Amino acid sequence: MAIREVQHRQNYLGVGGWVWGGNYKLERYLYLLHRITGLGIILFGFFHLIETTFFRMQGQTVWEATMALLEKPWFEAGLYLVAVAFTLHALNGLRLILQEFGLALGRPHRPIYPYGDALRKKRPWTMLLVAVIVVLALLFLFDFMLSGGG
Amino acid sequence: MRRARWHIVHIISAVVIAVLLGIHMVIQHLDDILGFFGVGNGEPTSWLAVMGRSGRGIWVGLYIALLAFALYHALYGLRGIILEVTGSRRAERAINIVFIIAGIIVFIWGSYIPLSLLSG
Repeated sequence: MAIREVQHRQNYLGVGGWVWGGNYKLERYLYLLHRITGLGIILFGFFHLIETTFFRMQGQTVWEATMALLEKPWFEAGLYLVAVAFTLHALNGLRLILQEFGLALGRPHRPIYPYGDALRKKRPWTMLLVAVIVVLALLFLFDFMLSGGG
Repeated sequence: MRRARWHIVHIISAVVIAVLLGIHMVIQHLDDILGFFGVGNGEPTSWLAVMGRSGRGIWVGLYIALLAFALYHALYGLRGIILEVTGSRRAERAINIVFIIAGIIVFIWGSYIPLSLLSG
């Protein structure tokens, strides 16, 4: 078992490898963002559950005091970041699901010189995904601005 | 094979969460834009609106379903991240047990209050 674990971990970069392991491409950074947003959403979900259970059970006065606190600009900005994180996590997750089932990967082709590389490759679907994320982020920002940022 | 099934449930839960949380986000957080189109129904976080939703089975069902799917998706995802830094089988088994117990406790905690408010 020890030999198996050593072999398994020969190229193991540790937690630092999540951030940088050499010639990483766009998809690798999307993977990192997916993790960060996922962990952030879990943390937010835990506090959100406390807010909507314990504080709600304590009646109208406590609920309204909690809502007044959450309408402060800092909390509103935090909620905006959560909305953006959710949008990014959801749409990147959709991309990952499609790719897991072999969709949206493009046709395989023989490598012909001069070889194309990931940096020069055109990515219409990724660009469309980024555009949708930006539009949704702006939509949430617009709603945030309409509510006066607090 | 069993692990593959857990992973498929993780993917299915992601799709369900996207739909349920999408509904939640639009109703709760895009109220100004909904109001602009005449669809909104006042301040969604006011006590009256919150208690109004608490008394309707469809909202309670939606929240409990969202809680169940989100818990599974979050804990399975977090388990995957932790297992990347801990290699041993024993650690995997311990993490599985801790996460299953934690998931059940949080689910009971999160669904008891909406159900008790629904039943008055």
